[in-house]
Amino acid sequence: MLKLAYQYMRYYKSQTFAIFASIVLTAALLSGIGSLMYSSRINDVENSRMIYGDWHYCVESEAGMEAALAESGTKDDAGFRLEQYAKAKVMGELSAPYQVQFLHVDDAYRKMLWRGITEGREPETADEIAADSYTLVNLGFEGGVGDTLNLGGKNYILTGIVKSKWSSGADEMEIFVGKEFEGKGNGTEKSLLYLKFDEGEKLYKQLEAFQERFRIPGGAAEANDGLTMYLGGERPDSIYHIIKFALTDERGNFTYIILKLQSEYNLAFYAMAAVLILFSLFVIYSVFNISVSKRKAEYAVLQTLGISEGAVGGTLVLELWMLFCAGYPLGCLLGNGVLGLSYQWLRGVFGSKAMGGGKTAASITDRIAVQENGLEGAAQGTALETARAAGFQVSWGVMCAGFVVLFFALAAAGFLTVRAMRRYTLREAMGGDVLFFRGRRKIYSRRGADLANVVVRKFMFLSKKRAMGIILSLSVGGCIFLCTTYMVENLKVHAEMSLKSDDGLGSEYRISVRSDNLEDTIPKSAVEETRAIPGLSEVYASKYILGEVSIEKDQLTWEEYFDEQNKDSYFMEQYGGICVDKGDERYGIKYGIYGYDTGMLEELKDFLLEGEIEEKDLVKGNKIIAVANMDGQGNYDFYGLHPGDAVTFRVPKEKNCPPEVLKFEGRKADYIEKELTIAAIVSRPLAKEDNFLCVNGWENSSIQSLIMTNGQMEENCGIADYSIVNASPEYGADTGKVSAQLLKAVKDVPKAVFRDYAAAIETQKNYLGQQQLFFTGIAVILLVISLFHIMNSMNYSILARRREYGIIRAMGITDAGFGRMILWTGILYGILADVLIFMIYHLALRRVMDYYMLHVVQFLHLTAGIPAGVFAMVMVMNVVIAAAAVMVPAARIAAGDIVREIGG
Amino acid sequence: MNILQFCHIEKIYGTKDNQVRALHDINLCVKEGEFAAIVGTSGSGKSTLLNLAGGLDTPTKGKIFVKGKEIEALTRKELTIFRRRNIGFVFQNYSLMPVLNVYDNVALPVTFDRGRQVNHKYIEELLRELGIWEKRKKYPGELSGGQQQRVAIARALANKPALLLADEPTGNLDSVTTVEVIGLLKESCRRYSQTILMVTHNEAIAQTCDRIIHIEDGQVMERGLRNQASSYLSEEGGDGAC
Repeated sequence: MLKLAYQYMRYYKSQTFAIFASIVLTAALLSGIGSLMYSSRINDVENSRMIYGDWHYCVESEAGMEAALAESGTKDDAGFRLEQYAKAKVMGELSAPYQVQFLHVDDAYRKMLWRGITEGREPETADEIAADSYTLVNLGFEGGVGDTLNLGGKNYILTGIVKSKWSSGADEMEIFVGKEFEGKGNGTEKSLLYLKFDEGEKLYKQLEAFQERFRIPGGAAEANDGLTMYLGGERPDSIYHIIKFALTDERGNFTYIILKLQSEYNLAFYAMAAVLILFSLFVIYSVFNISVSKRKAEYAVLQTLGISEGAVGGTLVLELWMLFCAGYPLGCLLGNGVLGLSYQWLRGVFGSKAMGGGKTAASITDRIAVQENGLEGAAQGTALETARAAGFQVSWGVMCAGFVVLFFALAAAGFLTVRAMRRYTLREAMGGDVLFFRGRRKIYSRRGADLANVVVRKFMFLSKKRAMGIILSLSVGGCIFLCTTYMVENLKVHAEMSLKSDDGLGSEYRISVRSDNLEDTIPKSAVEETRAIPGLSEVYASKYILGEVSIEKDQLTWEEYFDEQNKDSYFMEQYGGICVDKGDERYGIKYGIYGYDTGMLEELKDFLLEGEIEEKDLVKGNKIIAVANMDGQGNYDFYGLHPGDAVTFRVPKEKNCPPEVLKFEGRKADYIEKELTIAAIVSRPLAKEDNFLCVNGWENSSIQSLIMTNGQMEENCGIADYSIVNASPEYGADTGKVSAQLLKAVKDVPKAVFRDYAAAIETQKNYLGQQQLFFTGIAVILLVISLFHIMNSMNYSILARRREYGIIRAMGITDAGFGRMILWTGILYGILADVLIFMIYHLALRRVMDYYMLHVVQFLHLTAGIPAGVFAMVMVMNVVIAAAAVMVPAARIAAGDIVREIGG
Repeated sequence: MNILQFCHIEKIYGTKDNQVRALHDINLCVKEGEFAAIVGTSGSGKSTLLNLAGGLDTPTKGKIFVKGKEIEALTRKELTIFRRRNIGFVFQNYSLMPVLNVYDNVALPVTFDRGRQVNHKYIEELLRELGIWEKRKKYPGELSGGQQQRVAIARALANKPALLLADEPTGNLDSVTTVEVIGLLKESCRRYSQTILMVTHNEAIAQTCDRIIHIEDGQVMERGLRNQASSYLSEEGGDGAC
C-alpha cells in the first residue's frame, strides 16, 4: 500500500503538489496565528509581572508561618509549591497629607515587587528612610540622598531612592525603613507575606492548599489580579454552571456565557484555534477530494483486480498522511518563521494592554511617560522602553493539537472518500465520469437561449456540492474581508474615541490638579497663559467639582455593583462611600461634575447615545449632559432616565469645607442643590478626573459624570477656576519647546501636574496601525487560501468535461466563442457569490459582528460602515477571481488538440 | 464535382525515434453526393484520414480541399466557422451533451452561429424523419444506443453540411439498429444531397456504400466500387491525381 501510495504521488505530480501546498499553507496559517496569540498572552503576563509585581497572593503572616516555610523550604507535598516568598512589615502609617505606609521589607520583596534601591543604600537606623521619586515628589521633597525629610513632625534622613512602581496612585505611597524603625504603635503594624507559586500548576488550587495548611480563612488572601488573571488565580466556574446560570437566572444571557467563557477559559484563543483547524481541514479535504475523483477509474480497476476497498482507502490515507507529515512541519516552520520575524513589529496586535477600552485604561496610563512638575521624568521612566519582552513564543499546544486533529480527521476524510465511491458500480467508475442527467424538460433552443452557455452552465453546476463549495469559497473570502474591514473601520473609530475618553489621550498634553482640596484649581490666568503659548493648536479648559446625584431607590438596578465598590475602606473613610443610602428612599451617588468649553462639547457629540448636544440649548435651558453607566455586557443606562427627565445633584457650597461636607453628610445649607433637565446622554466623558478627587477607590470614578458648560458651572456651582487643561501641539511644532513652556505656565500653580502623552498616543496609534494591517493581512491570507481552493475546484470542474468541450469545438465553436461561454459561467459564479456575500453579510454576519463589537469587545460606538468602495471592490474582485479561475483551464482546453480531447 | 480532395497527404505523429507515419502520400477525391466507406484494420489510418478531412487535425505534408477550399490556408477561426457550416460529425460513442435534451442537442451547432435563427421546422422534420420526435424532451441518458446515434445524426445534419464524416457510427450498435442507422444515413444523403465519408470495420456495411476506400499502413491500397455505380465512379471520382 505504501509503495502504491508513493507511486501515485510521483505520477500525479500536480495533484500531489496541490494537496501539499494546501497543507503547507493552512499549517502556516494555523501555527503562525496560534503562536502569535500565544506570544501576545505570554507577553501580557510578563508585562503584568513587571507592572503589578512578580507575586501571586499576599497574606497576613501568622506566628510560626514563616518558620514553617523556612523549615519545609518552598517545596511542599500539601498541594502547593512556593517558588518564592517575600516578607514586608508595615511599621506604621501616616494619613495626611497623603496616606503613607512605613515598610520594612526583605530582599525578596525588592526583587519580586521591583522595588530595588537605584541610588544610595538601604535604611538601617530608626531615622533613616528610602522612597521612590513619585512619593518624594508628592511629599514636596526637593533634595537628594543624604538630605532630611520631615514626616509627621519627625525628621528622617533619606538614604536611598527606590525604583518606582509602574502603577502609582495617590494612596499608595510607601516609605521604606530599617528594622530599627519605631512605629507609632497605633495598631497599624502587620506582617505580610507575598507568595509566588509554581505557575505550571493552577494557582487557585495551590492557594487553597496553602490556606488549608496554615488555616488561613478563605478570602483573607489578596490576589495580584493584574497577573493572576492570566494564570488561573481564581477557581473558574464550571462550564455547566455558567450555562445553567445563563439559562435559569434572569441576569444570565448569551453574552454572559461568552464573556464568562472568555474570562475564565480564554474562549477567543481556543475558538480561533478551532476555526483555523476547521478551515484547514475544509481546504485540505476539498483539494484532496478533487484529486481523488480524477483517479476514480484507476481505483475501480484496482478493485476489479482484487484489491479490497479497505486497501484502497488505506492507500489514500497513507498518501494523505505522507504529504501531511511532510507538509505540516514545513508549514509550521514557515508560519512561525514569518510571524516570528515580524513579531517585534506585530506585538501590539493581540496585546490587551495595547487595546483601548475602559478596562485597560489604567494600564495604559500606567505606561505613560510622566513628567512630574518640577522633577521631570524622575517619577517614571518610559515604561514601553523597559517593558519586559517575552519575545515570540511558539505555541506547541496549537501546533500539536492541530497536528493530532488534522491527522485523524484526514484519515476519516480518506475513508469517507472511498465510501463516496460506492455510489458507482465498478464498471461505471471504470468508465470515467458517468453522467446520467435528468433535468427539467425544457427546450432551451425554442426560447432563444445560447445553448453553448446552457451546456457550460449545466456542467459547472452539475455537482451541486462542488458548485456550492466554489461559491462558498468565493463567499468566505469576501465575507472575511468585509467583516475584517467592518471591524477595522469601527476599531479605528473606537480607538480614537477610547483614546479621547477612557485613556484620556485625546490631547498630547494634560495639566490637572493632584489634590483632594477643592481650593486647589488652575486659575483662569494660567489657562489664558497656556492659550497664548505659540505652537499649541487646541487648548481645552475644563472645570470640575465632586458632587452627589440623588436618585430614587427603585431606579438603582446596580445595587450589587455599588455594594462591591463601597468596600474600599479608605474611600469610605474619606467620602463616605460611593453609593450611600440617604434614608428617604433615595440613594446619593458620588459624581464628577464637569464644565466643558465649546470645543470639548463639540467633540462630545461623537459619544452621543440619546438627545442633542447644543451649547446654546444647554445654556438657554440650563440643561445638563449625563454620562450613562455601562454594564459588563456593553449596555448603557442612566438609571432609566432619558433626555427631558430631570436629575438632582448637589455640590459643596464652600471650597474650604470640612471633611464631612465632602462625604455629603453635612447640613443642607452646606450644599448647592440643583435639579436640571437632561439634554443628552453620552457613553463617555472626555476631560475627567482619573481618581475621585485624587482618591483611588472607585474604578469607575472617571466615568460617573454630569457635564455642562463652563459658564453653567460658574452659574450653578460657583466654580470660576479650572481643574483640567488639555492641549495639543500644532503640526510640526517643536514639542519639546511647547511642553517646556506649558510646564512654565503652570509652575506656580500648587499641586498642578503636567503630563506629556505624546509618546503614549504615538504608541497607541502604532498599535492601531499594526492591528489594522494584521487583520487585513490575515483576511488576505485566508482569501489566498480560498483562492487556491477555488482555482483547484474550478480547474477540475472544467477539465473534467474536456471531452464534451472538445466535441463542441469539433462541431464548430470558435476559440473566442468557447472562451466567452466559459467566461460567462465564471462571471455567473462571481455574481452568485456576490449575492450570497450580500445576503450572508447583511442578514447574519453584520448582526453577529455588531453583537460581538458592542457586547463582547465593547466598542464604544459602531458608527463606521464598510466604505462603498471596499464593498464594490470585493464584489468586482469576486467576479474577476471567478472569471480568472475559469479562464485558466479554458485556455488550456482551447490550446489543446481537439482530436486528443475527444479521444479520437 | 469533388467535395473533398486529398493531395499527397502525409501525416506523421511523434518526433525522431518515436515517429509514426500514419498516412503516406494519400491522394483521394470524393464527389458530391457520394456515400463512401473507409475500411481498414486497426491503426491503418482510417480515423486520421477522417480527422484530417474534418479539419480536426493538420497534415504533415500535402493539401486538403473541402468544397474547393484549401483548409490549411484558413485561419483557426475561419476553419472553425467553415467546419461548422460545411462539415457534420457522427462519432461512434454518439458524443451527445448529457445535460441537453434531444431537441437542444440537435439545435446546438446551429446556435454557434451568432444571429442565426434555429430552423425549428427543419429540426422537427429531422427528428420526425429519424423517428425520435417523441423523444425530443428526453435526455441522452434516457435513450437507447440506437436512439442516441439517431440524435447524433440529426445533430450532424442540423447545419445542412455538405460533408458528413462518420467515425464508426454503428460500432456500438446491435445488428438491427446498425441496419436502421445506415439506412438513415443513406436516406439523408439522398434527401439532402450530402456527401458521406464513413469509417467502418464492418465489411458488410461497407458493401452497401457507393464506394469503398481501403486503407492499409497509411496508404490507399485499393478502391472498391459498388455494382452499378462502378463505371461512373471510376471515370469521375476515385483515387485519381489532383
